[in-house]
Amino acid sequence: MLEMLQQYISAYAALTAEEFAVLADKLVVREFDRRQLLVRVGEVEEYLSFIVKGLARMYFLKGKTEMITNIAKEGELIASSSSFLSGKPSYYYVETLEPCTVLSITRANLERAYQESPKIEKLGRLVTTYFVLQKEEWELECMRMDTRERFLRFIGNNPELLMRVPQKYLASYLNMKPETFSRLKNHIKKRPVAGRP
Amino acid sequence: MAYSAATYQAALEKLHHHLQGYAPMTKSEFREMEPFLEIREFDKRVKVIREGEVERYLNVIAWGLARKYLPVRNKEITIQLASEGHMIHSELSFHYRVPSRAVVETIEPTVFFSISYDSLEQLYEQIPGFERLGRLMISDLFIKSDNRYFNQLRKSTRERFLEYVRNHPDMVQRVPQKYLASFLNIKPETFSRLKHLTRGKIIKG
Repeated sequence: MLEMLQQYISAYAALTAEEFAVLADKLVVREFDRRQLLVRVGEVEEYLSFIVKGLARMYFLKGKTEMITNIAKEGELIASSSSFLSGKPSYYYVETLEPCTVLSITRANLERAYQESPKIEKLGRLVTTYFVLQKEEWELECMRMDTRERFLRFIGNNPELLMRVPQKYLASYLNMKPETFSRLKNHIKKRPVAGRP
Repeated sequence: MAYSAATYQAALEKLHHHLQGYAPMTKSEFREMEPFLEIREFDKRVKVIREGEVERYLNVIAWGLARKYLPVRNKEITIQLASEGHMIHSELSFHYRVPSRAVVETIEPTVFFSISYDSLEQLYEQIPGFERLGRLMISDLFIKSDNRYFNQLRKSTRERFLEYVRNHPDMVQRVPQKYLASFLNIKPETFSRLKHLTRGKIIKG
C-alpha cells in the first residue's frame, strides 16, 4: 500500500526514508463500500486521500442533475480539494463507485507534516501546483475542443475507465449528452483499430 | 513611461503587505527576495505573452490591469482578469515549458513584478519559508479557480453577474464590458441588460 504512495510521490520529490516516515506516520487506512459518500455538500473536507484500490467520483447537483467534475482511480488523489485546502464547506459530493481502500491524511496532520519537514512542504507545493495546472488544462480543453475531440482525447488517455465507469457518468464528466457519448462510442467501435492483427 | 522611485517603493511595500496575507514575512526576508524580481512595464493593450511563445515569467501586477484569454476560432475567451497584487501569466506554459495557448494582454498601462522560471527555482532553494508562501499562494489560486469553475457550471447568468458586481465593484468600472461579459460567459447584450438592472436598484436604494 505504502509502496504505491511512495511511487506516486517520487514523481514530485525525492524523499528520504525519514521524510517519508513523517508522512506515513500520519496516514490512516479507510475502507469504503461502493456508493458511499466520503463528503457531502456543506461538510468540510477533512481528508486528502490516495486511492490504493477502487474508483470514486466528485459531483454536484444542478437542480436534479448530477454534474461530475472529477473521476479518480487507484494511484490518484481524491478529495473535495478546494474545501480541503480552504477549510470551508464543500460544494461537492465525493462518492465511491467501486469498493475503495484509501490512505488518508487529515488537514491538521498534513499541516504538522509541513512544519516537521521542509521537503514535505515542497511536495505539498508541487502537488497543489499540479492540481492547478490539471484544472487549467481541463478548462482550456473544454473551450478549445469540440465534443468529438474531447471524447477521443479522454478515451485515449483513460481507456480502462470506459469499462469501469457507467456511461452516463462519463458523459456527465465530459459535459455531453448521454446520446452523444453513445454515438461517439459506437463510431470508434466500427472503425478498425490501428494495429489490430 | 517614467515613474518615480517613490512609486516603485510604494508598490513594493504593497507587494510585501499582500504577500503577508499568505504567510508571515519580515522586512528582511522580503529584501532577500527583491533581487529576484524584475520590473517590466507595458503600455495598455500590449500582448505580454502571445500564443505559441513559451512563458518565461510569473507576474504579479504592481499597478495596472491585465487579462488572459484563449483565442478560439476567431473569438477571444477571457479566462482571467487581474489587477494590483494578483498573479497573471500563462501557467501551463510557465510550468511545463511548452508553447502557450493563452495570451496575456494589458488593458491599462501596467507594471509587473516578474520572476523568471530559473529565479523562482533559486528562490525556493535559497530562502527557507518561501516554500510555504508558494504553497499557500498556489492553494489560493486553486480555490479561486475552482470557485469560478463551479459558478460557471452551477449558477445562473443573473447570479454570476450579481455576485461579480458585488465582489468586484472596482473591476466593473475598469474593465471594458465585452471582456467582463466574456469572462462571466454572458452574452454582451445580456450583460448590458443586467447592468441597467443593477443601476436602477442602486438609485432606488
